[in-house]
Amino acid sequence: MSRPTGLGAQTSTGDVPALRTASSLVVLALSTYRSLQTLPAGGGDSGVPVVRELLNAAVVELGDARSVLATATSAAGGRPQTAPDPSYGPVVGTALPTVRTPADVVGLALTLEDVLAQTLVADAAGLSTPALRATAVQLASAAAARKANLLVVNTLLSSGRADLVVAPPDLASLPAGVGTVGFPDTRFPTSKASPVEEGN
Amino acid sequence: MSRPLARRRVLLGSAAGVLGVGALAACSDAPPAGPGPAPSAAPPPSSTTPTRVPYVGDQRGIALCAATSALAASLYSGAVVAAGDGRLGQVPAVVTAFLSGAGAQHTEHAAAWNQLLTAAGVPAVTGAPLTVENDRRAALGRAAAPTDLLSLAVDVEAMTGGTIAARAGEFTDPGAAALAATLAPVTAMHGATAAFLLGRPTGSAPGSAGAPLGLDALTA
Repeated sequence: MSRPTGLGAQTSTGDVPALRTASSLVVLALSTYRSLQTLPAGGGDSGVPVVRELLNAAVVELGDARSVLATATSAAGGRPQTAPDPSYGPVVGTALPTVRTPADVVGLALTLEDVLAQTLVADAAGLSTPALRATAVQLASAAAARKANLLVVNTLLSSGRADLVVAPPDLASLPAGVGTVGFPDTRFPTSKASPVEEGN
Repeated sequence: MSRPLARRRVLLGSAAGVLGVGALAACSDAPPAGPGPAPSAAPPPSSTTPTRVPYVGDQRGIALCAATSALAASLYSGAVVAAGDGRLGQVPAVVTAFLSGAGAQHTEHAAAWNQLLTAAGVPAVTGAPLTVENDRRAALGRAAAPTDLLSLAVDVEAMTGGTIAARAGEFTDPGAAALAATLAPVTAMHGATAAFLLGRPTGSAPGSAGAPLGLDALTA
């Protein structure tokens, strides 16, 4: 089975709701990361350099993801979604004013990356073209990778070991559990995936 | 999402494809995996088995994913052995835990792929029948420090995740596509963890050994 040359080749209009919902989650995550960058505990003086680096990298990756999804949505005959996810948007709006520590920053980012990855995983197999399915899995994998890093940092911060959140880390000092905390599931879960129609 | 409810049906394993539906029993939200059993020795290369199985269609892609996952698991088993025999110096516990935990998940991934094959009435993949097997084992043999094991892991995860992600697009069987979608992100999490431990929290570019494998890499 050969792969179409473009994301939109032979797409079904049924792809649009899934692409728009994924887009809405990416838009929300991107705006949230940007807000976190402006907070003292995120990109500011009271932040952790490694966390700051993770925020900066996520903004770049999510910007790229937003473009990819917008292109795919247009190619599938839909209008790209530019509004944030309506379900998690209020959650972020409530949480942002309460962010005080690097652990708060990581916790909020972790929530959004998890639901984004779960939604993409849940929707990938139902997309109508090989290129769309592969793209969804690649974007899910990128979100999962960010989630893994956040899980590692979250574990160290919540156990009072901010001193170990450095690059490169002191491997001899890291608890053994840090080696596996970044991949808690043998198969990526989908129980928290947003409904297909949520972001439309 | 050609149909609003299609996603849920696929994920529940009720979509009967060309392979049957046995695989989606493997798509549950599993509890955290603990470290796998301690290997007694580095498994030998499996490329001495000349038997070829006439996998057709999606089966070849599934067999490729099974073999790639099995190779990852086997390499990590060998890495754990190397970590314990002293030739790499004192290997930090966090590195050994990573290798054991990720290896255990790759073992389960290989089993899930093989379950698809056996449900379709064809033999499971045994060993890691891949053209790159000897090369990857040689790379493990050249490891001289704990960080070499982590660098190897970055390549292994890129190879495995990239291979599965590519097949996720090509599978015509919904169960195989859904399984790929649930496994590729897990390998990405392994790779991110290895990169973090290497001091590259925003990711580490894999070497040429991290390239995805095509169907022509399968020797079974």
